[in-house]
Amino acid sequence: MINFKYPVLLVMLFIMNSQQAIAEEAIAVESDEKDVWPQVLASQYLTEDDYLGDVPKALTVSRLSQSLADAASAITVIDRETIRASGILDLPEIFRLVPGFYVGTNAGYVYNTNHTVSYHGMTTAYSGSMQVLLNGRSVYSPLFGGVNWSELPLAIADIERIEITRGPNAASYGANSFFGVINIITQNPSDLAGSNIFVTHGNGRNEVFYRNAGKLNDLTYRFTTGYREDDGLDNRNDFKRTRLLSAQADYQVNEKNGLELELGLAEGARGEGNINEDPIIFLPRTKQINNHYALVRWRHNVSDTSDFSLQAYYSYDRSDDETTSINLRPLIATLNPVIAAAMVSDNLYVKNEVIQKRTDIEAQHTFAVNDNIRAVWGGSIRQDTMYAPYYLGTRKTDYFDLQRLFGHVEWRPFEKLTLNTGAMVEHNDFTGTDISPRASINFKPNQNHAFRLGISSALRTPNYLEEKFQDRLVILTTLANPNALILQFRANKGNVKPEQIISRELGYMGKIGHLQLDVRLFSDIIDDVIRFNQRTDFTAPTNTLLLNPFVDVDINSGMNDGSAAAEGFEWQAAWQFTNKTKLLLNHAYVHIRETQEDLKRNYVKSMPRNTFSALITHKFNKKWDASFAYYQTSEATLLGDGDPVDLIRKCDLRLARKFSSNNWNGEVSAVVENLFNDHYQEFADYNILKRRAHINLRLDF
Amino acid sequence: MLKNKYKNKLAVNVLAFIALMTGFFVPILAHAYTGITIVISTPSSVNTEFIDNFKEELISGKNTNLHVKVIELQVAEKLVVAENSELVIALGVKALEAASKLKHSTPVLGVFTPLPTYNTLLLSSRRVLGNFSAIVLDQPYRRRMSLIKTVMPNVKNLGILLGPTSSQDSEFLKDLGEKYTLNILQENVNQESDLIPKLHKLLDSTDALMAIPDPLVYSRETAQPILLTSYRHQKPVFGYSQSYVRSGALAGVYSSTKQLAQQAAEIAVKSQQAPGFLPPPQTPKYFSVMINYQVARSLNFQLEDEDTIYKKMLVLEDVQ
Repeated sequence: MINFKYPVLLVMLFIMNSQQAIAEEAIAVESDEKDVWPQVLASQYLTEDDYLGDVPKALTVSRLSQSLADAASAITVIDRETIRASGILDLPEIFRLVPGFYVGTNAGYVYNTNHTVSYHGMTTAYSGSMQVLLNGRSVYSPLFGGVNWSELPLAIADIERIEITRGPNAASYGANSFFGVINIITQNPSDLAGSNIFVTHGNGRNEVFYRNAGKLNDLTYRFTTGYREDDGLDNRNDFKRTRLLSAQADYQVNEKNGLELELGLAEGARGEGNINEDPIIFLPRTKQINNHYALVRWRHNVSDTSDFSLQAYYSYDRSDDETTSINLRPLIATLNPVIAAAMVSDNLYVKNEVIQKRTDIEAQHTFAVNDNIRAVWGGSIRQDTMYAPYYLGTRKTDYFDLQRLFGHVEWRPFEKLTLNTGAMVEHNDFTGTDISPRASINFKPNQNHAFRLGISSALRTPNYLEEKFQDRLVILTTLANPNALILQFRANKGNVKPEQIISRELGYMGKIGHLQLDVRLFSDIIDDVIRFNQRTDFTAPTNTLLLNPFVDVDINSGMNDGSAAAEGFEWQAAWQFTNKTKLLLNHAYVHIRETQEDLKRNYVKSMPRNTFSALITHKFNKKWDASFAYYQTSEATLLGDGDPVDLIRKCDLRLARKFSSNNWNGEVSAVVENLFNDHYQEFADYNILKRRAHINLRLDF
Repeated sequence: MLKNKYKNKLAVNVLAFIALMTGFFVPILAHAYTGITIVISTPSSVNTEFIDNFKEELISGKNTNLHVKVIELQVAEKLVVAENSELVIALGVKALEAASKLKHSTPVLGVFTPLPTYNTLLLSSRRVLGNFSAIVLDQPYRRRMSLIKTVMPNVKNLGILLGPTSSQDSEFLKDLGEKYTLNILQENVNQESDLIPKLHKLLDSTDALMAIPDPLVYSRETAQPILLTSYRHQKPVFGYSQSYVRSGALAGVYSSTKQLAQQAAEIAVKSQQAPGFLPPPQTPKYFSVMINYQVARSLNFQLEDEDTIYKKMLVLEDVQ
């Protein structure tokens, strides 16, 4: 009778006895046994195949990522729940919850007005010192460097998680993975089903998105479409109207092969220009953007220990910007009335159309040598084309070719020790061939504690602004000499070497009860810093008059000049008090030094010395939850178009209620940003942020 | 009604007893010893392996007097020749279904058969326990929970996704969970489209997931989405088969063909002494532990070797 102890058996016996009644019923209606029986067979009948048959490998070697404790760098993962709790409307805002990050609202006003995101300083209006990937596709723009966040064909609701590598990771992601890497991963279509509507209404903000996801045999798909209306800041012409479409499909060809497809489209109007900074030429105006991309990825499971993937994508980004200056004649007249009288036109018209295209093909092979060694290697070729007549001073399209070869090995000589080493060799048209190596050692006394010692080197390729910009204004006259007046902004000499970073770090990751801790001590040395120095040897074409000596505008060229160092520490703590209450804390102390005296700009203050953020979330019950966020950044002087700004303290509050009925579920939430209406300046003195609120509605059906 | 009935364990035990007794009263035809017939649907590698191991077990147990004959369903459509056997061992569901239609005096032991399917066949064939038994493929839940507790001692909330077939085990799982200080969180899937949303809901509040066989919930088609989704939530899945663990579950208990053959041989030897009186259906007696160490590392679990975990489980099972 020992077997009777087995629970399943009791259940079975019970079922057997209780079903006698069912059998009797069957007889009563004179149902043929044979007819009753196969019905059961067809729909819900377990066979030995369900236990003994092969199941397609789900977590193949390439899908299994390193645990954070084994990773070669410090990684912050922001998940859907954190994004939801933060109540953000603009994606870059989420990086305020990553230690060491600086986020500046609507920085810049020259080419576009987007958030700037930087890690450990060197903050300009463009997030140029970090690589940003959207599902493995680089969205880093080579023009000014950085990312036009508002132009990404991406709805926040579609994001699954964001992985932020804090520290250089060129060995995995290539050049421009300089201070860090942001990898945005959208939800897998197979994780979604049905339709959703997302609506936001608030101060200067309206959004509506529709999403549909489903499954057709072996194909799962998701598409999202929407419209975003952002009026920007009160005193700026920085509104944005964006129509978005993004689609994703996964097709499981067979057990070994899968295809992934992605499409995206973003277009709309943008307010540009800053009357306080430029009241003469680039006046407040409206420009159009028009972007799209397509990506295809083939995943092939070679064997139990080996995976191959091949990815190709194409992207097209167009910005159509036209501007007409004020009447320049009176201004020129103060310099020379004769020339002013000979000007062909009162106003200067500038057509600044920019078309960037990118084609990229990448192959990657991941394999396990044995139980303790895992490796990935691969290569990619890329071509960027740049058509920007105004900026480049030529109507010719410029081509930027890039080839890469990379490899990474993870070795566990002992269960408690992980060694990571990798390198990327890269050749590009701007700087030739370079290599970025990396190595780290992780020691894990047990599964709750891990220490990491790492050294990593990375390069930042000069962008077009630093290497090839020849932007000038030309005012035609009817005279023979000067037949044109020239105001030159940048006259790059070219041949700029890449900026180089060598980052050393000591990291700790620990789990103490309900507290998860990530601490990092770092030292980043940056050599060959690229900056704009004044060019005194510029000669204007004959029969022209160079306005620069008269108007207070420098002629600049990107050059490598000096070194800098960023040192400090940062930590992140996630504390799950109870099932219902969670606290996330981030703090970074970043001290930037100039290691050479001759540096022109003040890099030392390009990062707030202290940044701190906290997010507390609480679930009151199954329906109600609330979150409170606090952000603090100490004073800083941002580079590029930035200015000195004071200490900022900002509080956000969010309250949400879930609801459901038979046919649909949903959530309604209200968010107040800058709760105490502190009119603070961010990035530059022209950005004044005030309190704003919005309500969000989500419907699932 | 089912639930109420089940809660009354005494009643269940009484019913079980009656069920067994009815088995005893089945008229048994006296017939000459004709050995064991193994019925298979196809000569698959698993079936061949079983037969070889089974024979070896008999030999090593010095039971060489038991003659073993193999009938392949496709080849010998007239299965009736097996009716004279002392014992019919049916490998797999198809073979068991065919064997269940043999005359009721021929004892049939199913191997490689899931428990719910065995139950259905028992009912449809109108056979009784004494001559229709099985070594089911399902590992006892007790053993599976013991594995979970050994691998993840701190686990508190264990998620289960139940379908139409497995939902009958719900109450039992909850009760057993209490013994292992596991809070069982359950979601019921009634149609395929519910699967992923329910899984998400479950993963939000659980520390781990225990996969429970059900044709609607766990199949070849759903393995990948379930394992990938759980992995994205960084939640381990405890599988119910070797292939499930290989595919991406963290760990599982399973019985090898050799282990099942050993158990079947033991039953065969015993039933030789009392022909026609098969022991009640049973779960696998001998088992092994399987760990997917690649998954363990990725989820940052430092796990001991399979053998150590197996030994710890035995201790824990004894304590429980």
